[in-house]
Amino acid sequence: MIAPSRQRTPNPHLGAYYSIVASAFVSLVILLAMAEQLGWSDGTVARSLILLPLAAYLGIAVAARTLDIEDFFASGRRVPQVYNALVLAAIAVGGTGFFAYTGAVLFLGFDALAIGLGWTCGFLLAAVLFVPYLRRAGAYTLPAFIGQRFRSREARIAASVLQVAPTALLLAAEIKIAAVVTSIFLPLPFWLAVLLVTFFVAAVGILGGMRSLTWSGSAQFIVGAVGLAVTLIVVSVMLTNLPAPQLTYGEMFGSLQRAETAAGMAPVAPDAITSLPQAAPAQVVKPFLQPFGAISETGFFALFLCFALGTAALPSLLMRSGVTRSVADQRRSTGWALLLVALFVITAPAIAAFAKLIMFRDMALIPTQGMPSWLSTLSEWHLIQPSDINGDGTIGSGELLVARNGVALALPMLAELPYILTALMATAGLSIALTAAGSHLFTLGASLADDIYGVLDRRPVELPRLMAAWAAIGLCALIAMVFLLIAEVDALRNAVTAFAFAAATFFPALLLAIWWPRCTAWGALASMGTGFLILFLAVTLGGVVGVAETAPGIAAASLIAALLALGAGVGASLYGPSPATFDTAYYEEMRKPEGEAIFDLAQSRPAPARATEE
Amino acid sequence: MTAELTETEQAVRDRHQLRTLAVAITTVSAVLCAVFVAILYAVSLNRLWFLHFPLGFYLLAQGLLIFTVVVGFWYVRVQERIDHTRSVNEEIA
Repeated sequence: MIAPSRQRTPNPHLGAYYSIVASAFVSLVILLAMAEQLGWSDGTVARSLILLPLAAYLGIAVAARTLDIEDFFASGRRVPQVYNALVLAAIAVGGTGFFAYTGAVLFLGFDALAIGLGWTCGFLLAAVLFVPYLRRAGAYTLPAFIGQRFRSREARIAASVLQVAPTALLLAAEIKIAAVVTSIFLPLPFWLAVLLVTFFVAAVGILGGMRSLTWSGSAQFIVGAVGLAVTLIVVSVMLTNLPAPQLTYGEMFGSLQRAETAAGMAPVAPDAITSLPQAAPAQVVKPFLQPFGAISETGFFALFLCFALGTAALPSLLMRSGVTRSVADQRRSTGWALLLVALFVITAPAIAAFAKLIMFRDMALIPTQGMPSWLSTLSEWHLIQPSDINGDGTIGSGELLVARNGVALALPMLAELPYILTALMATAGLSIALTAAGSHLFTLGASLADDIYGVLDRRPVELPRLMAAWAAIGLCALIAMVFLLIAEVDALRNAVTAFAFAAATFFPALLLAIWWPRCTAWGALASMGTGFLILFLAVTLGGVVGVAETAPGIAAASLIAALLALGAGVGASLYGPSPATFDTAYYEEMRKPEGEAIFDLAQSRPAPARATEE
Repeated sequence: MTAELTETEQAVRDRHQLRTLAVAITTVSAVLCAVFVAILYAVSLNRLWFLHFPLGFYLLAQGLLIFTVVVGFWYVRVQERIDHTRSVNEEIA
């Protein structure tokens, strides 16, 4: 029996700390609600509700700062399962799920459900296929696992380079969403909001790496969950008299269908509208319950599978596979994350259904002169733009242009609730987006530092390794910021492409590496390279020949790429050199359900022995 | 990395890996098949109503998610039992 290299006892006061965080946030909301009634301006209420939690997250990150390598990259491997699940769920859903997915459900109704279903099933796939084995391996990053599994520096560097595509796309999407919310509510120019958000996520990542991300991310998840639940429960009670929106929005379908008919929405033919709505304000044309109107059955299944495989193999999620105390804890943690994501995905259609009902039932035939102030505010924010298209002096429900990403934010205003609930929804979504952005940024920076710089510079000195990670995180943040200032980013399209790249590049390679002892470094390289290359060609050149132009098209291309990647991996492994004895031994060790992580065991050996082994 | 395994230890390991593979295939295929069937018959199922929802919509919006969570926790429990059996058998061996 090998003694653990250190005591992995989690802080016994964590429950008390996070109860205090939750209570403090609820108290802040109640105080600000009272202040609003006492005459505080909307701007002051929103600034207080956004900036005070931000300061608290930063405070937690400062308190969790570390110079220890294991703490920085794996949070000391002592995170309790539920806390890890909170962060996992926040990364998977992110601001894209909170704002863009709810908006997509409003626009597409039934057809958008493929995305949420994919996220949820992806967690199941990860829990069954990958996570326990990655925990047993104990590598700090996904490329590090691939490198250690095959004892191949080339495979590790290749994986690190290839993971830039999915991670950077999601990072851009999350920072964009967070910056848009910040620019509306603080209020700030967009460039300043991007700067603030990027500085925040970079600071959290640099201060304590995975450790800071875990503890500030847990607080951010609590704020996100409280904000979403409170607002939605209030709307649900108003509309249905019951505080269970997930169960009650079905009762509204009769009214919703009547409102849709009055607004002139008729069943749409396949390909009549774009498969996923754009971010810019647009008319809602598809009835909520119409199945397979914008996306065909095949497209729906492809989108579902793409998100499922992409979630299961997403580097930012799998990077958290080494932070709990044991294989069993990590598996259970993924189970809790699955539950939390499923809860969000079950809730999102309720947001969309309530918003659509109020929008098209209660806002029909508003006169263009003397519009209600909240509608003017939503119009100023470019969330809902009324336009008198037929010039009859009234805004008919068919003349409302809705911004996809603004549906969740607009719901409290549509329901004419106090402004505090709009600010609460904003701070909730912002918190979730910041958690996701922080994790994507850390995944990028840590991998560039540890899998590329770390492989090239093999001195076992801790501080330069950490300094390389700080520099890489800072550099990635700077590049993301500049990119967002010059490029137009559509969060949902970015997310679809990112999950497609994760599905095509990493899912087949991981499946072979973990479940097939015959797989070799050549097989892994061939698999990752084939998957990435085919999807890259489909996404970049596919438009010329009409392939992968739409979201279902990208999803289908990713599935074909994943299949071919699997074939390439099997072929290269079978026809290349046989796996070395070390590879087989590593495989057997990785499949053991108990014991210290393989990476930690290797680290605990004397340096000369390690050098000989490497 | 590992010492040579005895015949009994190899049998324990092989049995563990076989059972793990069987549970993984069962879990993943159960969920994927359920989703596939629900998508395939969603239009027909929408003619039936459940809890004020068209059944096809309900399954994809809630029912399959609940099923996935239940299957996920079932998997965690079964896999832990399989792992525990391997530990016990290895100690005996």
